[in-house]
Amino acid sequence: MPKFLHTADWQMGRAFTRFETEDGAALVEARFEAIEKLAQLANEHQCDAVLVAGDVFDAQTVSDRTIRRVFNATKGFTGPWVMLPGNHDAALAESVWTRAQRLGAVPGNVHLALQPGIINLELQGLSILCAPLTQRHTYGDLTEPFSGYESPEGFPRIGLAHGSVQGLLHEEIDSSNPIAPDRADASTLDYLALGDWHGTKQINDRTWYSGTPEPERFRNNEAGNALIVEVSEPGATPKVTQLPTGRYQWHQWRETLAVHSDLEQLLERLNALPESAVVDLRLEGSVTLAGEETLLKALSVAEARFRSLRCERSGLQFAPTDEDIAALKADGYVGEVIESLRQGQGQEDTQDDAARDALAILAGMLREREQEASQ
Amino acid sequence: MKLQRMRIEQLRQFRKPFVLDNLQPGLNLIHGPNESGKSTLVRSIRAAFFERYRSTAVDDLRPWGDSAAAPTIELDFEHDNRNWHLAKSFLQRKRCDLTIGTETYSEDDAEEKLAELLGYQYPKRGASKAEHWGIPGLLWVEQGTGQDIEQAIEHAGDHLKSALNSMVGEVASSGGDDLIETVRSQRDTLLTGTGKPRGDYLQLEKDRALYERDIEDLKGRVQHYQEQVDRLGKLAHDHDQAEAERPWEEAQRQLEEARTRYQQVERLEQQQVQEKATLAQIQENRRLLQQSKEHLEGLSRQLEGRKAELERAERDLRVAEAQSPAIAGRLAEARTAYEQAEKQRKLAGLLQTQERLEQDVRRLEQHKQAQTQNLAKAKDYHQQLEQARQQVRENRIDSAAVKSLKATANKLNEESIRSRTIATRLSWQLETSASLALNNEQLTGQGEQQLLEESTLVIPGVGTLGITPGGEELASTRRKLKTLEDSFAEQLKTLGVTSVEQAEDRLSTFESAERTLKHAEDLLKSVAPAGIEQLVSEQSEAENELERAKSQLQATPEPDQKENVPALEEAEAAFVQAGTTLDKAEADDREHQATLSALKQAWHNAKTEWQRLADEEKSPERQQQLSQITTDLANIEKQQAELQASLERREREIREARPEFLKQDIERYQNAANHLRQTQENRGRELRDIKVRLEAWGAEGLEEQLNEKEAELDQCNRRYQELHRRAQALDLLLTLLTEKRQALTRRLQAPLQKHLNHYLSVLFPEASLEVDEQLRPGTFSRGSELGQITELSFGAREQMGLISRLAYADLLREAGRPTLVILDDTLVHSDSERLEDMKRILFDAASRHQILLFTCHPEKWQDLGVAPVDIQASKEQSS
Repeated sequence: MPKFLHTADWQMGRAFTRFETEDGAALVEARFEAIEKLAQLANEHQCDAVLVAGDVFDAQTVSDRTIRRVFNATKGFTGPWVMLPGNHDAALAESVWTRAQRLGAVPGNVHLALQPGIINLELQGLSILCAPLTQRHTYGDLTEPFSGYESPEGFPRIGLAHGSVQGLLHEEIDSSNPIAPDRADASTLDYLALGDWHGTKQINDRTWYSGTPEPERFRNNEAGNALIVEVSEPGATPKVTQLPTGRYQWHQWRETLAVHSDLEQLLERLNALPESAVVDLRLEGSVTLAGEETLLKALSVAEARFRSLRCERSGLQFAPTDEDIAALKADGYVGEVIESLRQGQGQEDTQDDAARDALAILAGMLREREQEASQ
Repeated sequence: MKLQRMRIEQLRQFRKPFVLDNLQPGLNLIHGPNESGKSTLVRSIRAAFFERYRSTAVDDLRPWGDSAAAPTIELDFEHDNRNWHLAKSFLQRKRCDLTIGTETYSEDDAEEKLAELLGYQYPKRGASKAEHWGIPGLLWVEQGTGQDIEQAIEHAGDHLKSALNSMVGEVASSGGDDLIETVRSQRDTLLTGTGKPRGDYLQLEKDRALYERDIEDLKGRVQHYQEQVDRLGKLAHDHDQAEAERPWEEAQRQLEEARTRYQQVERLEQQQVQEKATLAQIQENRRLLQQSKEHLEGLSRQLEGRKAELERAERDLRVAEAQSPAIAGRLAEARTAYEQAEKQRKLAGLLQTQERLEQDVRRLEQHKQAQTQNLAKAKDYHQQLEQARQQVRENRIDSAAVKSLKATANKLNEESIRSRTIATRLSWQLETSASLALNNEQLTGQGEQQLLEESTLVIPGVGTLGITPGGEELASTRRKLKTLEDSFAEQLKTLGVTSVEQAEDRLSTFESAERTLKHAEDLLKSVAPAGIEQLVSEQSEAENELERAKSQLQATPEPDQKENVPALEEAEAAFVQAGTTLDKAEADDREHQATLSALKQAWHNAKTEWQRLADEEKSPERQQQLSQITTDLANIEKQQAELQASLERREREIREARPEFLKQDIERYQNAANHLRQTQENRGRELRDIKVRLEAWGAEGLEEQLNEKEAELDQCNRRYQELHRRAQALDLLLTLLTEKRQALTRRLQAPLQKHLNHYLSVLFPEASLEVDEQLRPGTFSRGSELGQITELSFGAREQMGLISRLAYADLLREAGRPTLVILDDTLVHSDSERLEDMKRILFDAASRHQILLFTCHPEKWQDLGVAPVDIQASKEQSS
């Protein structure tokens, strides 16, 4: 009873923008760990093979080190791996794959599906019908030849492809690398393992996107999984099990703060997140002097706790209350300055951000002075 | 604030205590002459406030030479209805005590209290300087600095603002200025004065550009890489296809075919070339035969020509031979004429020589005669000379000695006459018989004698009379007479004469003989300048010469036909003419001989040529040759026609095969095959190159690098945005704070302007003085005049300075601050009219402030309306 692990879209060699250097490095590292995790799962579930449905590499020209590390990470599972070139790592005349071969980095148990055709895993009794991308973009269905591929008697026919199932995922008619939605049936496949969509997604009984094993963007739900597929015999409906593999969870929140309790709620939710969270906050509305102080403190704590925390506050008005202002004891012309900054904030011009920041800086200085004076 | 009393001790010239009390709340005029201590009082007040009691920089307060002194100042003043007493001593006893009402302060506390009251600060170390003086610096005017208002206001700055706080109430800010400084310093870490980024902010901006450039570069390289990958794909495809089809082989086959056909044509062309050569040979042969034929046929014509030439040569020779006798005749003639001319010339030369010699003899005879005469004269002159010389020798006498002798004789004569006048005269007239003996000399008859010496007169029979001439003078005269007589006799002897007359005669003879000698010498020199001997030898030489000339004349032969001889010049000209004629005749003869021999030769040659041709023409070989040549020519012409036909045929054949196209075909097929092969080879090479290149580039991990760089740029960008926002915010904040603060300053401007106008209206009724934003008097206008206060005259500036200070005092008073105005010898540059106005101003100000006016010109301030305080007088009171 053949059983295999379906994964895709490792995107190795990707660097992360919008993060602190240290955080970006950790996120990259997590992707290598994800491969090791896949090998471990394949062993645990006694899989016969691991099928990777494209985009193992994020680009053709990644460093030698990345290439070697990727193949090193597969060592945990000694059964056959079948890797399919996707749109990011298409099998061009010169590609990341030819380089990997030249480097001698590809272990014997890793099969590279660089040409369209069928790979028969004799020992495991599996026929893998491969539709690799040999150009950067194709506008025809590369899985079409599957129908013509003969497979040995009794071997389940497993399709391996990378692209967009037409009519289901994208509205655009002209999406590149199209795949017919009824490919599994049309080419009498027992299972069609797809890559390109980064979230786990079932298309039909026999057709799945496994999604990426480690999330790498804030969009795309259901990222960070692998699929264990069991095919009892040719023609039987495969049994598909979804297993979590991701280390970090990515959260992107858009919040509007109007009253103080909004802030409190936000902070409670933030506290509830696990440490392995990657958080992107965008705040709007307004905040009082006290609120600002609370927010800054909470953000400072959260920054230390989470893998990464980014907070965009340019949409958040700094609106100190009259009591706040009074507490600053800004008399004379400094008081006038504060008043004009408070008014300046609401205006629809470029002064807006500057006025908000200026007010915050001034308030900070005045409070510092007050604290010094009270000591 | 009202100063009531001051006391100083051990301070400069005030070694003993000095007290100045009864100070009035208004105007106080304190005067004293220079050195009286006026400046010391001013310095004391300043020291009491400005200098730290523990300062070591106040040596100037010490009385001269007193190192043990402790300069002490005590001040009593009233402020805010409380009595203040300040006692401060320096150097040897450092103390400061302040009593305010019932409170007491000491040391630093006391000093801080004072600084706070008046609004100034202490130096961190050393002596207090203008920048520390604050408000007092503005109100206490040192001698000669009244006009420097701007500096004083600047130093007073912060103190003034805080002092005036109460006036502007809510707009002033406690610590606002510090806040501005903080904001400014934070802004300045990010922005330059002109608002350009600096420091980290600038660095980020640069880094960002650097990243962008790197990314652009990497993107370019990735793009290039991808293009190369695509190229590789296409090349591999083309290469494989070409390798399967091998198109160059078809080209090679076509090439071979074209070559074969071309070789055939080439063979035809070779034959053509050979036959053309044969034709050319035949043609050449024919031409040669033709030539021979023509040559043979031309022989008779040549013979006639030669005959004519021979006849012409004969004729020429005969003409030349006919000329020969005439030419020979002319030559003989010329030769005879030449010989005749030569003879004539010789004869003429002989005649001329003879004439010349005769002339020489005549001239020499004359010369000899003259010489003989000269010699006779010379001998005569010589004799005269000898006689004169004899005369001179005989009569030589020294003219100076003669002159001296004459002088001595004269003196002697004079002395004798003198002696006679004083001598004792003895005269006598004796009887004829009677005689007397005077000094043993017999006297008879009558006579007289002068007696200069003691004498004895013996009168016979009577006895002897002794006569002694009287007097000293007589004795001296007698001695002088004696001396002169001796001298005279001596000189006579020396000259060898007996009298003066004889001496003079001799002198005259001597001088005449000398003149004669000179004359004789001159004469002799005129006839025999080189001496008589020379003259004798010259004469004998002239004789010799004459002899020679005479013998030469005799040796010269007498010419024969004297009458027909022409002059020498004429003979010579004729001779030259005859020579030329002879030359010409000889040349003509030579030429004629040459022509003659040439003509003979020509005739000979012509004759030989004619003979040879005549012989040839008649030979039988020639006839035979001519017929042979005619036959050969016919054969050759036939051959030529055949060959030409064959050539034409082949030419046509070659033309039809189009060899030029065949040649092009070969080239074309060759090129095509080469090109196809080359293309394939190039493909192979490029494939290998691209593979190698891509391998190298691939190893660089370009896209991964690009990813990383983009992440770094993003990071940099975010940090830049943060700093950018912060810089904007700080800049905005600084601008706002500065603006508001300036607005505050402007609010203080109005009251100050009011007070200033009050005083200005007294001084310049029509003028105005604007206070600027820094609260400094700035633009001054009067009628149409407009300018800065610094442009005014020194006097006017001092007056403006003073009224500005008074205006400040008024402002401070309104703010409830202490005001004490101290003026040290101020307004010395004001004219009396202005001074009058200033007095009115001071009197007015004194109704609000205490003013201490120190001066050394009390007479100028008499009409100030206050009782002056005389330091000198006070000093005496104190002591």
